[in-house]
Amino acid sequence: MIKIENLEKIYRTDEVQTKALNNVSLAVNEGEFVAIMGPSGCGKSTLLNIIGLLDEPDGGSFRFGSTEVAHVSERQRSKLRKEHIGFVFQSFNLIDELTVAENVELPLIYLGMGAAERKQRVEQVLEKMKIMHRRNHFPQQLSGGQQQRVAVARAVVNSPKLILADEPTGNLDSRNGNEVMELLTELNEAGTTIVMVTHSEHDARYAHRVIRLLDGEVVLENVQQPFTV
Amino acid sequence: MFKNYLLVAYRNLVRHKSFSLINISGLALGITACLLIGLFVHDELQFDKNVPDGERIYRVYTQQTKTDAPETFAPVAPMFATTLKQEFPEVEQTMRILMQNSVNLLEVGDKKIYVGDDLMVDSTFFDVFQLPFKYGSAAKALNAPTSIVLTEEVARNFFGDENPIGKEIKVDKSTFNVTGVLENSLDKFHLKVNFIVPLAAAELPAERMKKWGWQQFFTYVKLRPGADAKQTQAKLRAYLNDKVQPTLPPDEKLTSVPVLQPLHQIHLYSSNFKYDSSVKGNITYVKALSLIAVFILLIAGFNFVNLATAKSMQRAKEVGVRKTIGASQQQLMLQFLSETVLLTLASVVLAAVFTSLLLPALNAFTGKTMEFDLLANPALLGVLVLLTVVVGLVAGFYPALVLSSFKPVKVLKSAVVTDGIFGRVQWLRHGLIVVQFALSVFLIICALVVFGQVSYLHNKELGFNREQIMFFPMRGQNMNQQHEAFKNELKQVPGVVSASIGYGFPGDQVAGDGIIVPANGERKDHPVTQLMVDYDYIKTLGLQLVAGRDFSKELTTDKDHAFIINETAVKELGFGTPQQALGKTVEWEVWNDRNPDSLKVGKVIGVVKDFHYKSLYDKLEPAVLQIFPDAYWKVAVKMRADNLGSSVDGVKQVWAKFSPESPIEYKFLDDNFEEMYRAEDKLNTLLWVFTGIAIFVGCLGLFGLATYAAERRKKEIGIRKVLGADVSTIVGLLSKEFLKLVLVAAIIAFPVAWYVMHEWLQDFAYRIDMPLWAFVVAAVAAGTVAFLTVSYQAVRAATANPIKNLRAE
Repeated sequence: MIKIENLEKIYRTDEVQTKALNNVSLAVNEGEFVAIMGPSGCGKSTLLNIIGLLDEPDGGSFRFGSTEVAHVSERQRSKLRKEHIGFVFQSFNLIDELTVAENVELPLIYLGMGAAERKQRVEQVLEKMKIMHRRNHFPQQLSGGQQQRVAVARAVVNSPKLILADEPTGNLDSRNGNEVMELLTELNEAGTTIVMVTHSEHDARYAHRVIRLLDGEVVLENVQQPFTV
Repeated sequence: MFKNYLLVAYRNLVRHKSFSLINISGLALGITACLLIGLFVHDELQFDKNVPDGERIYRVYTQQTKTDAPETFAPVAPMFATTLKQEFPEVEQTMRILMQNSVNLLEVGDKKIYVGDDLMVDSTFFDVFQLPFKYGSAAKALNAPTSIVLTEEVARNFFGDENPIGKEIKVDKSTFNVTGVLENSLDKFHLKVNFIVPLAAAELPAERMKKWGWQQFFTYVKLRPGADAKQTQAKLRAYLNDKVQPTLPPDEKLTSVPVLQPLHQIHLYSSNFKYDSSVKGNITYVKALSLIAVFILLIAGFNFVNLATAKSMQRAKEVGVRKTIGASQQQLMLQFLSETVLLTLASVVLAAVFTSLLLPALNAFTGKTMEFDLLANPALLGVLVLLTVVVGLVAGFYPALVLSSFKPVKVLKSAVVTDGIFGRVQWLRHGLIVVQFALSVFLIICALVVFGQVSYLHNKELGFNREQIMFFPMRGQNMNQQHEAFKNELKQVPGVVSASIGYGFPGDQVAGDGIIVPANGERKDHPVTQLMVDYDYIKTLGLQLVAGRDFSKELTTDKDHAFIINETAVKELGFGTPQQALGKTVEWEVWNDRNPDSLKVGKVIGVVKDFHYKSLYDKLEPAVLQIFPDAYWKVAVKMRADNLGSSVDGVKQVWAKFSPESPIEYKFLDDNFEEMYRAEDKLNTLLWVFTGIAIFVGCLGLFGLATYAAERRKKEIGIRKVLGADVSTIVGLLSKEFLKLVLVAAIIAFPVAWYVMHEWLQDFAYRIDMPLWAFVVAAVAAGTVAFLTVSYQAVRAATANPIKNLRAE
């Protein structure tokens, strides 16, 4: 599903050039659950952003499915994002002015889906995430775990092929963290590909495979668990 | 999708209530000011627009050519109309209105009302001004010398709702027949009209009507379609030069040239005309106000942008999320634009409410009857809709562009947006603040200077005693014939100190005429003010004699052979010192229709200290006082301050004895002077209002910028606090930047304000020195207000928990 070859990303300030990613090559197959690990500043978030089409690489190739996307237009990237990719962030990133249901509904609005179908889809996914009872609450009225469940619900509501999670448990206690990891595992088992950036060895164990980065380079790829497509 | 935009917009508004309130009300205030000014300007521009064939109608006025500063006179000699009609084929019709300034007693049965603003006109009046009639018709309305045309309002006062055509009405005891009633549509007509009578009623001697030197008529011409006014004007000037000038005796030569003024310009382009009794506006004010309106809207719009952009940083996360989820930049632009349009709509609605509430006050202030009725006036509604869309889109474009161009990768990682497009346009933001505060400082200075001058006008020592002088015109033949007895009885009233009858009291009309000084075999005619007085004038007004003596009843020659002049006249007539002036011979051509050539020859018997009988706009002119009972038209009664009420009652009783048929109509002399400066009083009020708006709007801008700065420097402040900075240091840090801007603003405003106020003061012959303290006060006031505004945000930022801001990084 994802094939990355010799990817480079360079951050430039006036005097200093920092190579955030150097010659990174990796592949993620459909249905896989991959964790990316590494110390702070190793480039894992940069990699995730490029995979999520939020950022552009400075060199190398990135194929999403059968399409080369390393340098496509913002419009094209936006289209790919809203149709195929769901995001889960460490800090949830829910819109404070929207209710739980409205937050979850947002991707569907941008997809141009009709109101009736949106309502149905939102309710389905809220049921699934067990937060239906809080559908009319605003984010600040929820606990961290609940907020992250809403974020996950928002990420999956349009049934994306790929979910990108950036330290999804980073702001949660262990009980809520485990719940979120269980959710992601369930989604993966239902067929969604997941790429997750994490600091937590515990969380990484939920993944099939761990890619370790150091100073912008892949240092180790180990398959923890066998998986079948 | 749109619903979602509106929902978020609405919730954002509600969530940040105080911010929304400031932003909406700021813009609403700006729009309100614009609307009110717009209504006023529109109204001013409507004058005479409804007069049929208005584009062919011109007023003839004259411009003095001899003097250094050319003076413009609205009235012209009667022969202009005669000549234009007779000698110029392109002239379709001419019409004259006699210049007068009288208040007449109108009577129908027992009903007696004093009514001013009458027009004595040529019978061609309605050929030129085809005003709509409610009753009667224009054709025959002014045919008979006893015809009278009333306005609807006057007609209703006397006759109720019935048709008064053919009814009798007395004007100052002479009987007229109502031949027409005009419709009530004259509020935007440049002539003040209550009733119209034919010139024939004045029975002016035919001889006088053939004069080229008697500038007493407002004269209008209606040209034939297609005629060129410029050509007519040139031809008229040539005609005067070639045909008229050679026929005039040397001392009656024309010293001015005629100008044809388009009807549509009379209201706004005649502000400096002398002896003009039309309803006058001022194009300079109209232009200035229009400029101010645009400026206010711009500033309010910029502040709106400023605040919105500053606030937008708090919505960076939302943008990031929306973009991540798949929103395109266009969709986000659309979202934020619809938000600003919504905000603008709220402001416009609020502005419409404000305007409706404030319009009555504006109407009272301007004496207009403007309306703000959206339902009755779809064009106005259109303007509001247009305003909403244009202001909303223009003001929303920049914040929308900034917001929608946020990179999600960046904004989702950090809660504080520090770089990007904001930094680059700092000069623009700062520039705007400087402009706004420069305007505030400028207005504060103007307001203080005008206030100073207005106080000066009201309180200046005028050289006579204007307190407790009751003042009224005489009425009726009986009173005129027995003026001496009348005055004597007035003096008997308890509390009355003295009484004087004459023509030429301070603050009232005065007559200008020539005085002849014979010297070295030549007779030189000097223009002077003629004050027609009696033996009590000097005493009643408390004038000071600097040489010679007052008029005396005991000396019989004083009546026909004595003049008293003022100090200025001593200089102008070339008499040297007041002492030297005594005994000098002067001559005056008596106002006397029965014997046009009679000459009054006399000697100067006294010199009075200069006193201001006109407004302080006018430089003191040479004045000549003389006993002239033919002009005993007005009465001034000096009273003691105590028991003023009963003294006034006493005067009324004496009045009733001498003129029982006419009610008394009195004022106090100082009221005349108060009235003279009404325009300045209004300017004074207006300036304070504008100053208030400017300061408020300026503060809004500053508030926005301070909010932005506090937001931008959150991290810096956090670090400083962790390192040990206390609140006052941080408040100082944040405030200093803005106080610098105010300082720059003051430096820009000072010379401009000095220049403008210097020019304004030049209009007054008597004025205050430019008050330097006003500049200091303005700068300090602006600085203080700016500091208070900024320090609110600064204190908030400085007292916030630093850890929170640092962790957000």
